[in-house]
Amino acid sequence: MSTLKHLLKLISYQENTDREGFILEETANDRQTAQKSGPSSESQAAPEHGDNKEKAPAGRRSFKKPVRPSGKANDKTKKRKDSGRSGEENPDQESGQANGIKQAEELSVSASLAENREIVGKLYGLPENKDIIVRDIAIGTDPVIEGFAIFIDGLVDKSVQDLLFQALMLFAARPVPPGKGKLASYVKERLLPGNQVSVRTQFRDILDAVNYGDTALFLEGCAEAVLVETKGWEHRGVDRPTVEQVVRGPQEAFSETLRANTALIRKLIKNENLTTEFLQVGARNRVHVAVMYLRDLANPALVAEVKRRINSIKTDHIIDSGVLEEFIQDNPYNLNPTVMATERPDRVAAGIFNGRVAIIVDGSPFVLLVPVTMYEMLHTGEELYSRWQLGTFIRYLRALAFNLSFLLPGLYLSVVLFHHEMIPTELLLAIAGNRERVPFPSIVEVLLMEISFELIREAGLRIPGVIGSTIGIVGALILGQAAVQANIVSPILVILVAVTGLAGFAIPYYSLAFALRIYRFFYISLGAALGFFGIAIGLFTQIILTANLKSFGVPYLAPIGPRTVTGADIVTRLPVFFHKKRPDYLNPQDIKRQPDVSRGWIGHKTGGKDD
Amino acid sequence: MIKEGTFGPAEAIVLLALSSLSRGFLSYPRSLVEIAGPAAWMTPLGGLAVALVGVYLISLVFKRNPGYTIIETTEQAFGPFIGTALNVLIVVSAFEMVGALFLREFSEAMLTTTLRFAPISIIDFSFLTMGLLGAYLGIEALARTARLIYLYVLAGLLITVLSLIPFWNFYNLLPLLGKGVSRDFLHGTYATAGIAEVILAAVIVQAMGGVKNFARIGYISMLISFGILIVLLVTLVLTYNWPISEEFTLPFLRLYRTIYLGRFFQRPEAVFILIWSVVGALKISLMLYGAAVSLARSLKLPEYRPLIWPLGLVMYIIGLLPLDMPAAVNLDVYLRGFVLIPDYLLPLLILAAYWLKGRGKCAGS
Repeated sequence: MSTLKHLLKLISYQENTDREGFILEETANDRQTAQKSGPSSESQAAPEHGDNKEKAPAGRRSFKKPVRPSGKANDKTKKRKDSGRSGEENPDQESGQANGIKQAEELSVSASLAENREIVGKLYGLPENKDIIVRDIAIGTDPVIEGFAIFIDGLVDKSVQDLLFQALMLFAARPVPPGKGKLASYVKERLLPGNQVSVRTQFRDILDAVNYGDTALFLEGCAEAVLVETKGWEHRGVDRPTVEQVVRGPQEAFSETLRANTALIRKLIKNENLTTEFLQVGARNRVHVAVMYLRDLANPALVAEVKRRINSIKTDHIIDSGVLEEFIQDNPYNLNPTVMATERPDRVAAGIFNGRVAIIVDGSPFVLLVPVTMYEMLHTGEELYSRWQLGTFIRYLRALAFNLSFLLPGLYLSVVLFHHEMIPTELLLAIAGNRERVPFPSIVEVLLMEISFELIREAGLRIPGVIGSTIGIVGALILGQAAVQANIVSPILVILVAVTGLAGFAIPYYSLAFALRIYRFFYISLGAALGFFGIAIGLFTQIILTANLKSFGVPYLAPIGPRTVTGADIVTRLPVFFHKKRPDYLNPQDIKRQPDVSRGWIGHKTGGKDD
Repeated sequence: MIKEGTFGPAEAIVLLALSSLSRGFLSYPRSLVEIAGPAAWMTPLGGLAVALVGVYLISLVFKRNPGYTIIETTEQAFGPFIGTALNVLIVVSAFEMVGALFLREFSEAMLTTTLRFAPISIIDFSFLTMGLLGAYLGIEALARTARLIYLYVLAGLLITVLSLIPFWNFYNLLPLLGKGVSRDFLHGTYATAGIAEVILAAVIVQAMGGVKNFARIGYISMLISFGILIVLLVTLVLTYNWPISEEFTLPFLRLYRTIYLGRFFQRPEAVFILIWSVVGALKISLMLYGAAVSLARSLKLPEYRPLIWPLGLVMYIIGLLPLDMPAAVNLDVYLRGFVLIPDYLLPLLILAAYWLKGRGKCAGS
């Protein structure tokens, strides 16, 4: 039934809610929606939910009702104001979450150590949960203060933690100030040498920090907990890029650690205006998402829109930036990607310098960059790092590869099946001679080869280790040769599919290359059915659908369709001293990148001579 | 309020020029050669002059109502009942009829060129599907598409013209005035004035950036489209003399077939199918969009998209009504006369109505 509903939804009319024109600002509708999903969203999360409630039997409603911990019923009014955790406000998710999560939202730290220990035990499922360590300590003050520390084994840096415990248990021999209520602040300010120490009262904050590798310290008689940064899990170091390789240029790639990734970007952008904002996404996982931009350059409306979209996500968890990408992109149903994912810090830095916003998801080595146009997906840093003539040549070669990668097999079928008159007689005879012994129609031949090629490519990726690349190349060679000898395909087709494959590999952005691979099969079908007319149908459809795309309010085919100020770096890469302005379509706060005469030395006519 | 999107003057010019130009790919040039013989290339001159006057007239109309399109202006001039009736009977039906005949003629051209054994309904439906998609996505997407493809269209036409230079015979242009001045300029003007997309420009004026750009966009797009038509007609007459050109069903298909650039590059007409088809799909999308938006505005509907499918179906049915291609071409001849009403007569009537209401001064100032 749900499939039928989806099908009906697909073919039935829906009002167009696309934003108008070249505007990054919110529309009135969006603003209303944002207000609705804001602080009051808990009360009216979605109309359909209310409907469901009416239909649901009473027993089910009572089952969904969250259970509060004993003695803490009055704390329910303490709501978290952090809109980044809007996921927890969704009734849908409330029903699906464990009670522990619900409890943590409402609990605050007690002055009783025993009660805190009990709450922590319940929340973490102790003592069954073995990698959660609760360490009892006695702070060596006069008098001694009882307490306990909680952390997760494997997520903390043991050397840092040793220093922490030494400071508390051995070197804290000093009198305790009067007023136990300020104990946590006293410990923070006087006793702990850690570089990031904070005091929290809400268990939600404490759990978030502990889950992220920090150590929480609870003290007897104190209704606050001290959080010490002790992060130190095993992780991959900064490595060479594996997907976006260049001959010339930086050879660093992002890793899975959020802070390392932000540091890699900050290392390249030495500017105090570079801003890193942290948001949390996912009701159950609460993954950290960093939003980075240059405060004095990025369009404020764009930054607000990025944060709005991320904050509005209501989901259980997000593992990788690819998942977040699908949540925030403008047109998820179109094959073309409208968000750039890159593993290169230099690319992100260049984007931020142009006024873009980078989105870094903890645990993902791919950083998202928005907004982005299709032309930028066909760029690499290498064109900029090499001489401009080489860069321009590569760009034009890539433009050819772009067209060949999805059009070539379809065009071949069109010519062979419908437009023989185009082929010179000698070539026609050669093709006919080769095809004479092949029993299949051309379309079957092409599909066989294309599917085999895709299989080899996919298998080559999945086969572990060094065998992967070997089997890819050897498999393709052997398969092609064997197929020709077995008279399953004609030799010209092997060449054609190989050229198409090479053209596909020349597309630098993986998601775009993938989209073109899928487009290719549409063109094969259209070319085989209607010849060049079919190809024209495909082209018109693809062009108009792509021209209609937007990436965070920026037209996907800018600056060509629509025409804006083109700049010096679209297909032809002019010398860097002509790159005077930032892309106009990004609406940055400062459009000017460099003055008209950026090479100051050419102004000195007496260069090389003494005055 | 109908959301149309907006686009710049460059996109608007290209969009209107390509739309006006699309007729040149069909049997239309043959009829111009029939009218004026070797002076066929002069026939668009009169049409161009009339089109420029038409743009000027509509710009005068818009000076009185800067925030509206021709649809609302007609209603204001003639009142809700007569205005709506005029809009539906003249503007909407003109878009529908032109769209339907283009649907049929492009389909017939495709059958003649390449898909000889395909049923006309399938080709018609394929064009209609592209038209529905284009109209659904809206004028902004269509304008961007036009902006993206125009270079390929122009390059294709330029290559055609340059490739045919070896076949040119300048004596084919003689006698210079062809079949006579009256045929060149009177009949010619009547036959060519209708290809201008003045009424389309008047319907999408707000999407083009408003009234302030209307006249400039209109003039430039007319100059471009009529200019290209003149170049194509000159090429046709120079390559084949006029008595032969009169016999071609699709003159430019014949020209493409003539191209011979050595043994390896010959008979490239199939490549031009790509250009034809895309321009044809753009034209049909525009006509469908124009019909849907005009009807929605006339009926005060908040959205035009629900009208696309029924109007498209009507277009499809009308397109299938002519018995064969000659019947469709004959209908097109009559339709060219009908299109003059929304393009030129309607603005005149509106101005007259304003004048009668004592507002002529404002409208004409």
